[in-house]
Amino acid sequence: MYAGNLLLMLLHFMLKLEEWSLINLLLLLTMNNLAGKKQNDELSYFKKTVGSELQVLHKQFVYGGILTEAEFWATRKKLLDQNDSRRPKQRLALKNEMWTVKPLSDGQTNRVTFNLTPEIIHQIFAEKPAVRQAYLNFVPNKMTEKEFWTKYSRAEYLHSTKNVVAAAAEAAEDEELAVFLKRDDMLANEARRKIRRVDPTVDMEADEGDDYIHLPDRGLLQDEAKDVLDSQYEPYRRSFSQDLNQHAAVVLQGRLVDVELGDTRTVAEALIRTKQAELSDEISNRNLERKLSDRISRITEIEDLQGPRDPAVAPLSIKDPRDYFDSQQPNALKALGDTGSGTKSFRSRVSPREAYGSLRDIVSDIRVMGLSEPIMNQEVALKVLNGLTQNISSTKLHLGNNPHESVLDRLPKVTKEELMHHWTSVQELLKHFWSSYPITTKYLYAKVTRLKDAMSQVYPKLQEIKESVQSDFRHQVSLLVHPMLQALDAAFAYYDADVQKRSGKSGERPNGSV
Amino acid sequence: MKFQIEDVTVYFPYDNIYPEQYSYMVELKRALDAKGHCLLEMPTGTGKTIALLSLITSYVLSKPSNPVKLLYCTRTVHEMEKTLAELRFLHNYQVKHLGPSARILALGLSSRKNLCVNPSVISAENRDSVDAACRKLTASWVRAMAIENPNIPTCEFFENYEKAASDAVLPPGVYTLQDLRAFGKEKGWCPYFLARHMVQFANVVVYSYQYLLDPKVAGIISKEMQRESVVVFDEAHNIDNVCIEALSVSVRMQTLEGATRNLNRMSQEIERLKATDAGRLRAEYNRLVEGLAQRGNLPITDTWFSNPTLPEDILKEAVPGNIRRAEHFVSVLRRLVQYFKGRLQTENVEKEGPVTFVASINAQVGIDQKMLRFCYDRLHSLMLTLEITDTDEFLHIQTICDLATLVGTYARGFSIIIEPFDERMPHIPDPVLQLCCHDASLAIKPVFERFQSVVITSGTLSPIDLYPRLLNFNPVVSRSFTMSLTRDCICPMVLTRGSDQLPVSTKYDLRSDPGVEKNYGKLLVEMVSVVPDGIVCFFVSYSYMDGIVNSWHESGILKEIMQHKLVFIETQDVVETTLALDNYRRACDCGRGAVFFSVARGKVAEGIDFDRHYGRLVIMFGVPFQYTLSRILLARLEYLRETFQIREGDFLTFDALRQAAQCVGRVIRSKADYGMMIFADKRYSRHDKRSKLPGWILSHLRDAHLNLSTDMAVHIAREFLRRMAQPYDKTGAMGKKTLLSQEDLEKMANGAGEMLF
Repeated sequence: MYAGNLLLMLLHFMLKLEEWSLINLLLLLTMNNLAGKKQNDELSYFKKTVGSELQVLHKQFVYGGILTEAEFWATRKKLLDQNDSRRPKQRLALKNEMWTVKPLSDGQTNRVTFNLTPEIIHQIFAEKPAVRQAYLNFVPNKMTEKEFWTKYSRAEYLHSTKNVVAAAAEAAEDEELAVFLKRDDMLANEARRKIRRVDPTVDMEADEGDDYIHLPDRGLLQDEAKDVLDSQYEPYRRSFSQDLNQHAAVVLQGRLVDVELGDTRTVAEALIRTKQAELSDEISNRNLERKLSDRISRITEIEDLQGPRDPAVAPLSIKDPRDYFDSQQPNALKALGDTGSGTKSFRSRVSPREAYGSLRDIVSDIRVMGLSEPIMNQEVALKVLNGLTQNISSTKLHLGNNPHESVLDRLPKVTKEELMHHWTSVQELLKHFWSSYPITTKYLYAKVTRLKDAMSQVYPKLQEIKESVQSDFRHQVSLLVHPMLQALDAAFAYYDADVQKRSGKSGERPNGSV
Repeated sequence: MKFQIEDVTVYFPYDNIYPEQYSYMVELKRALDAKGHCLLEMPTGTGKTIALLSLITSYVLSKPSNPVKLLYCTRTVHEMEKTLAELRFLHNYQVKHLGPSARILALGLSSRKNLCVNPSVISAENRDSVDAACRKLTASWVRAMAIENPNIPTCEFFENYEKAASDAVLPPGVYTLQDLRAFGKEKGWCPYFLARHMVQFANVVVYSYQYLLDPKVAGIISKEMQRESVVVFDEAHNIDNVCIEALSVSVRMQTLEGATRNLNRMSQEIERLKATDAGRLRAEYNRLVEGLAQRGNLPITDTWFSNPTLPEDILKEAVPGNIRRAEHFVSVLRRLVQYFKGRLQTENVEKEGPVTFVASINAQVGIDQKMLRFCYDRLHSLMLTLEITDTDEFLHIQTICDLATLVGTYARGFSIIIEPFDERMPHIPDPVLQLCCHDASLAIKPVFERFQSVVITSGTLSPIDLYPRLLNFNPVVSRSFTMSLTRDCICPMVLTRGSDQLPVSTKYDLRSDPGVEKNYGKLLVEMVSVVPDGIVCFFVSYSYMDGIVNSWHESGILKEIMQHKLVFIETQDVVETTLALDNYRRACDCGRGAVFFSVARGKVAEGIDFDRHYGRLVIMFGVPFQYTLSRILLARLEYLRETFQIREGDFLTFDALRQAAQCVGRVIRSKADYGMMIFADKRYSRHDKRSKLPGWILSHLRDAHLNLSTDMAVHIAREFLRRMAQPYDKTGAMGKKTLLSQEDLEKMANGAGEMLF
């Protein structure tokens, strides 16, 4: 069973590529609201759109009568479900794109159209806390959602015309509109709070405190022309630079809320909650100053004048340890597998005590006689060395010029495709084969038999490929075919053992035996 | 490491040293030995600051009989913090190797705004209101009243500090502003006054230029520094501008209105005082008869800005009789304000010298030169007598008196310019009267005279012979060092054309050409996709930057840039710019990558480093010339031509190129660092412009990189970045050594003067 499990894992690993295309498919499905329909629909949909590979497999096994339709899809379904539940959904970053009012005018009337999506609304709420607050205050008591966004778009449109005086005039008439037109006080407050935490080496605000030249009316006038505005218009002035900085800051911070973007109100509330959490974090974070000064002293050192130091070791952090180790195991097995399928035969019944005793004897022997004997058999060592050298030199000869090219690319196209096809079909068969164990029902037994027959047909085909290729590729091809044969061998060995066990246990010969 | 330079043992906190750092120290030591001034140019990214600090501290350690004090001047507070951090690193090393005898006291000094720990004071918005809020709690008469009436608030930190009296000292060590605040909070002492007090005893003081150059501040803070001090002006390429700004004043309509309000309030106060406490006014009158020499006896909290002119220019004589009485003085000021109002009514631009201006004041409102000269001190005395604490309200009248005193004192090197409107916006009336100083040597002269050694150093001081002329001094050492590079870690390029082969420039006729804007945009779009981490862009002015960014936004170029990197931008609001910079750094740290748009001559260009991954590429869009139609600039150019025989064109190019060099020089910090610099303007390819760049940039500017188009520049950038990613030998094994160890230095000393360059 142990070997079987490992093999399953190996298969699982190899199947990952396939899964991806399936996930994409499923996404497509959900988006088209087809998910709830019957399986038949799905199947036909799959058949229509699935890549050629799956189609070929399907044709080969389902139409070939080796697997039933349900069996073929069942294994895939399971993989898909498991996948979905195990991995958390990836969090998407915010799009680094500014929403600007690009009015779509039809050119005939004075009507202007804007497009707002939940994504854009989320962005607006994140970048403009005043709008968020206004939404919570106004909707739905004072106005409907639609009215709110119409008003907001109107304010944005006024800003885009850069006519401060007009904006002020409009704001004077409509106090709700004024909320959008005025400068965002919440942002200003936040800035004042944040400025205390910035890195002192970039803190230009502190310079203001030391600048005795740039008092009002002192020093030379700067060349920059400042447009003078009446103080009543001052709160309505807004610059594009400000928006740009705010946008970039929000994108940098990333998506803070993890809610469905559909409902505007929940988005706004969630954003407020995260802001509050941030605030309380800051208050509790007392050793910030310490951290900052550490940081400064670290970066003031000139690194290349410093003598060599121990390399800084970054701690390895594995998000999902199971994922990591699971994928490592098959690799290890593969490496072991090269020694032949006889892993089992090495297992002997030695108790720990005996093993310890013999080990101690060996050690004492060495202490007495020294390390006269070679640790390894010379012949074996030579064989391995020769094998390796040959292998390396031959692959080097072919692959030396281009590291990106794989062995497969060098093969003739027909051979390559054939090999790929066999690889996937062997995978498919093995997957079904191993998933049928332990055999509990007649049905499973019949399935295993069918599969075994199909598998036994693969052998001659592989042999055929090996012989068909030119001699310079033969070695490469046999290297490629080798793991497939091994996997099949393991399956057959298991099958035989199982059959014997069964016959020994019950004495009853199952019908349809070989 | 530890090594000898002649008779001085230098303690250097690293295991290796760059050869140019060593030579820098040798030259600096010669200047200190000669007790003279020096001018040293060394490229950025070669560890100037640490070389300078370790030589001077080691010099003092080697000669304990001659304790030299170091006054280290930085331009900004964050540079102050950086310098102190380096000094702390050095100090720890020296204490480790020499024991407690190497202990020194080093501290940074800044204004109340940056040092105050009293929460009720620090909440005020700007520096002046913090100062005023502090005075309201600590002025001597407030404290005197508080003793009688416990309801009058005082500052507990200051009271504790006063109570501790002579016990209130800082133990030896290196204190940044943050450390001072923390120490003050812990002890309950006011860090500002503690620092002001400790400055006299400290071995190293790090503070802003203005504490030495601006006579108003220097008169209070720096007057007690001994002659045996070494003054260092770091990043001093702009020192002439700081000097002339320190002595320039401008007056607008708002100033005059504010001054009138101030005068009204003062009249009321005088009336009130006459009724309640006439004795105080009489006492003041008597004091004034004896002269104004009483300043030295003022309690530390009552000092305010001192006279805007230079110490030796203040006459040691009694205040003229006609402004001794408070009400007379106020009416003199009223007449003066009235006169200025009249001058601002003008329709045309007027320009005159101080002498004619004073003569015209005398003729029209009957205030002579001597009265003008005493205005500032007289005002100061009056405000003390009236016990005015909200000094931030009285800035306007202070400005007027400032101007009067300067005009009454100096007959040369200044001019008065009255403009009825801004040249660029003739339809908006905005009259302004400016007193501008043209002679940088005026402000810095007392520094050269008072202190035995003044070191002026920066990454860009080219051409190095111009500075002694501008500042009017004779350096004993004047040298420019090149950079020995292990590999070509800087890559300057001159881009003259866009991909469409049309020239790019910010010259006036091409500036708003949409083709140029597009080509500039395309250059950036290409670069953001090639260069990792941070990119910095400098534009010639705020208005140009706003214009081009808006047009990029409209044409969709900005959107393309945003697909690769985040975009941050410098604005005239300092708080916002600081936050943008902080976010920019964070974006570079986390690998997201960002672009920072900034302005040459702006605050960011002046003091922020974009070293390592914070800046792999800097693009200078255009040549940052000053606005050449400005009257102030024209007047200054005329003065320079007449006095120093410096041609206008030469000065303008020199000034523009030093700004450009300053901008691009911010990308590199050490030899392990690397960065590219693109000068995007066709004018840079001309020899007369290019040759004004500092030597360390020129030596890496290959002929093949002098006339590039966008696609060629992108190609070069790709190649360069690939090359920089390779591992290399830090010690520079082939040919020249670029990293010296202690052994190397010892060998050199024995080998007797084997020159490195």
